[in-house]
Amino acid sequence: MIFGSKGVSAKSESGSGTIVRHSSGFEQFCGAMDTGETQTVLDISGASQANIMFITGLGHRISSDDMLETMEDCFGKDFIEGQQSAAKAQRFLDQALAFPDQSFDGALVWDSLQYLATPVIEQTVERLLRVMRPGGYILAFFNANEKSGRLPVYNYRIQDRKTILQVPRADMTQRSQFFPNRTIEQLFQQAASLKFFLTRGSSREVLIRR
Amino acid sequence: MWSKRTQDEPAQTPQRPSIPPSSNPVEPQRREIGSIPSTGRSFEPESGVVRSGTAALGKNVTVKGQIFAREDLTIDGEVEGTIECHDHRLTIGPNARVQASLKAREIIIHGSIQGNVESTDKIDIKKEAKLVGDIKTSRIVIEDGAYFKGSIDISKATQSKQAAPPIVVNQPSTAAVAAAPARENATGTVSSAK
Repeated sequence: MIFGSKGVSAKSESGSGTIVRHSSGFEQFCGAMDTGETQTVLDISGASQANIMFITGLGHRISSDDMLETMEDCFGKDFIEGQQSAAKAQRFLDQALAFPDQSFDGALVWDSLQYLATPVIEQTVERLLRVMRPGGYILAFFNANEKSGRLPVYNYRIQDRKTILQVPRADMTQRSQFFPNRTIEQLFQQAASLKFFLTRGSSREVLIRR
Repeated sequence: MWSKRTQDEPAQTPQRPSIPPSSNPVEPQRREIGSIPSTGRSFEPESGVVRSGTAALGKNVTVKGQIFAREDLTIDGEVEGTIECHDHRLTIGPNARVQASLKAREIIIHGSIQGNVESTDKIDIKKEAKLVGDIKTSRIVIEDGAYFKGSIDISKATQSKQAAPPIVVNQPSTAAVAAAPARENATGTVSSAK
């Protein structure tokens, strides 16, 4: 299903390259986490004060990881090129999402998966679904612009239930890959459901239910 | 006669000779950890001065075992085991490489830690820090750029603390802290390499 994101907008904060944007996907993710019970949420955009305070402020437990740091460590400067090496790909798979099965009720993956190519992305998604509890929610962003060349790499910081900040990660850019809806559906074919949120920017938000 | 007796008196008084502090067999061990000279980049906590009443473990020191401190402790060396500073502040310096579980009232991290970290008050993770392990604390401050992999459990003490009205407590004076005896205990192997 594709849901239109009414009012989705992105604006750049002067000079810093930071983008403030409304996220319907994140709003729905927060709603899904509101069960009245303490949930365990995985955030793989690196540890940040804003995200920790927001998630723990909702009464949830947070686990932090930095998948982009792992990619940089394993693949080098060019993530897509680095994955051509089987040894590097295996090293990444050994380190990424090294959590026990069914550890999390929610996962904020942000746009990390869009820097992975076949077959690493399939194996990473498989592992991601494995560390999620049944019924758990995953929020992921994918590049929806077929013509984009290199994309700046961002860290994602939560402002409130509807707003996120995209903070550029030390002038890092990466080759972009285009992800049509069909490709995303195939990636998460084992999931119970997928919800797509269109944005005015070049990003496509997806809320996946394990 | 009277005057002679008066002159003799001072010679009779030191029947129990006072032992200079340096001859106390326990003292040299206490001072050993803090007095090991460090070469290269030295780390001086926040104020730029090593405060009295704070034990320090220099960058060329390796400890394998348990460290239990009853005063503030700064670690800039290598530790493998456990570190406990109940009711006190523990500072992990930028040169520190710690593979241990940590427990303290307040923990400030500049260096590298692999292990679980537990604080009754606050954990402060600086931007150059690297922490792989689970955190349990009442409050946490994490600077952008710090590497953290693990889970964070904000203990319920936070909520009750936040709800409670602020209590103003007179801080002990520096003189009082300086006068407090050093009581840190370290068990295990301590080695120093230059």
